[in-house]
Amino acid sequence: MKKQVRLLVAALVLIGLLFIPKLFSMDYYMHMFVMSEIYTVLALSLALIVGFSGQVSMGHAAFYGIGAYVSALLSVNFGFSFWVTIWIAGIAAGVVSFMIGVLVLRLRGHFLAITTAFFGILVGLVFNNWTTLTNGPMGISGIPRPTPFHFAGFNMVVQTRAHYYYLGLAFAALVTFIVYRLINSRIGNALIAIRENEELARSIGIDAMAYKVFAFTVGGGLAGMAGSFYAHYILFISPVTFTVGESINILVMIIFGGMTTLFGPILGAVFLTVLPEFLRIAGSLRLVIYGVALVVFIIWMPLGVWGSLKSFWMGQRQASLQTARENPERL
Amino acid sequence: MFTVFLQQSLNGVILGCIYALTALGLSLVFGILEVANFAHGELYMLGAFMALFSTKLLGAPFFLALLISMVIMAIFGAIIERGVFRPIVGKPMINSMLLSFGLSTALANLALFFFKADPRKIDSGLAEIRFRFFGLHVTAERLVVLVLSVILVALLAWFIQYTKTGKAMRAISQDRVAAQLAGINIRRIYSVTFAISGALAAAAGTMVGAIFFVSPEMGFSVVLKSFVVIILGGFGSIRGVIFAAIIIGLAESLGGGFINYSYKDAYPFLLLVLLFMLRPQGLIGGKRS
Repeated sequence: MKKQVRLLVAALVLIGLLFIPKLFSMDYYMHMFVMSEIYTVLALSLALIVGFSGQVSMGHAAFYGIGAYVSALLSVNFGFSFWVTIWIAGIAAGVVSFMIGVLVLRLRGHFLAITTAFFGILVGLVFNNWTTLTNGPMGISGIPRPTPFHFAGFNMVVQTRAHYYYLGLAFAALVTFIVYRLINSRIGNALIAIRENEELARSIGIDAMAYKVFAFTVGGGLAGMAGSFYAHYILFISPVTFTVGESINILVMIIFGGMTTLFGPILGAVFLTVLPEFLRIAGSLRLVIYGVALVVFIIWMPLGVWGSLKSFWMGQRQASLQTARENPERL
Repeated sequence: MFTVFLQQSLNGVILGCIYALTALGLSLVFGILEVANFAHGELYMLGAFMALFSTKLLGAPFFLALLISMVIMAIFGAIIERGVFRPIVGKPMINSMLLSFGLSTALANLALFFFKADPRKIDSGLAEIRFRFFGLHVTAERLVVLVLSVILVALLAWFIQYTKTGKAMRAISQDRVAAQLAGINIRRIYSVTFAISGALAAAAGTMVGAIFFVSPEMGFSVVLKSFVVIILGGFGSIRGVIFAAIIIGLAESLGGGFINYSYKDAYPFLLLVLLFMLRPQGLIGGKRS
């Protein structure tokens, strides 16, 4: 697709999305859409780390949680406005992910995945046990909604779910744009080179460690901002939201959509936020079905839905499957 | 104070034996199929339940129950290898990780659905026998864990070192294609590997069920700690894994006893971080992938 066509399609989709609150007035649906937006941001930020740089992280929910807690604590204890705390939350999560990145990104493959999973558990333990700060398993309640926003005569209040929907849409669109610009820049090329072959990338002068840490930091920071948005939307946070299971959930989203594309993670995030709602009929067997579906899906569609479609269109299905088969250590 | 330290150390060593058993099975599967099996913890959990039902429903004595659960989980391990893992051997590692995670979620929740969440204990009939020496209290159960672990690890080491199947396993872990060219039936070895790993996990689960509790969610933290043990101990080295398992067990037990009990799951991770900062090449300095 040409660049202009692509832009046009993106603009049309965005305009189409603006009408969603008019079509679905039920709160329940709107809640699902707002959550989809939060997960879109999380999935894109993780795709930057896992999909484009090839560094598998199983601790993404930790950064999401750090952002949520920082934002919630600042606004509950010190009365900061959401418009300030979302940036502080992003920076805080970014700083933590920078430090963790420097420490663990020299590991590869399984080692990295397991170490980041352990980091996720550690953060969860802190949320649960540092009771004086985080109120432990009871969580933090009474988080204020975003304050009304006055800007150049334009008045914005965030009260109903539809308001949150528009705010989240702007947020998700901005993050999509940032990630799009990133992966189409020199930085993105360097990241993809590292994913494909780290030794080769280093041999042509790419500072692999610096780029990996950069992707990890940006991804963590964006997740922290998503956490802040979540905290000021749900108005209550507790450690159970930010577990390793949640990290894996986000990982599944990007795998589901196809993590080496930009649209794949978005598709995965929306689909896997809405789909489990239908599984509620299954009651306590819901997670069993989820697990079995995951197994079946990974066996049959290793490139993800969007990735498989894309390579099918490009007539490269066999070719890309072949590369996946030949380079088991690629990711 | 010193007695408490000794007592906690002993508990740590016993915990380390359990981790050694689970980590060895995990490391076998990892070395031969190149698959990170997050569902390993579920084999451990199901093994514990099999032993529980053998003692409760069949009235089997503890050692028979242990044997029954090991056999059942060996068969089950071979079945999931055939049905779930074989199609994705050689695919990118993130696929096998998520696949095994899906399997783990499904099995844990299935167990929750059928067996319910209330923690139960396997009655070994050995808890009443106590020993005292140097002021330490040891129940016969814990001694049994120690002795059984040593026996199982020795058996495993012998099997891998001297039997034909064991040699084939080592050959595959070194070079899969060359092993196939030499006429090794690679699929049979995959099944055998998973069977052994299932049996070891079942043994570990049964012993934990006897000392502590059996519950459907006991698997996940054990599998993560076993991975830490493997990272610390290096691959393909039974000695390294045992050493690392005991260190992890000690860290958890002593840290939980002397620093803060609620953070006991964090100490293995802190140890790992410390290792990365001080010795990036690994504790033993073994091969890293």
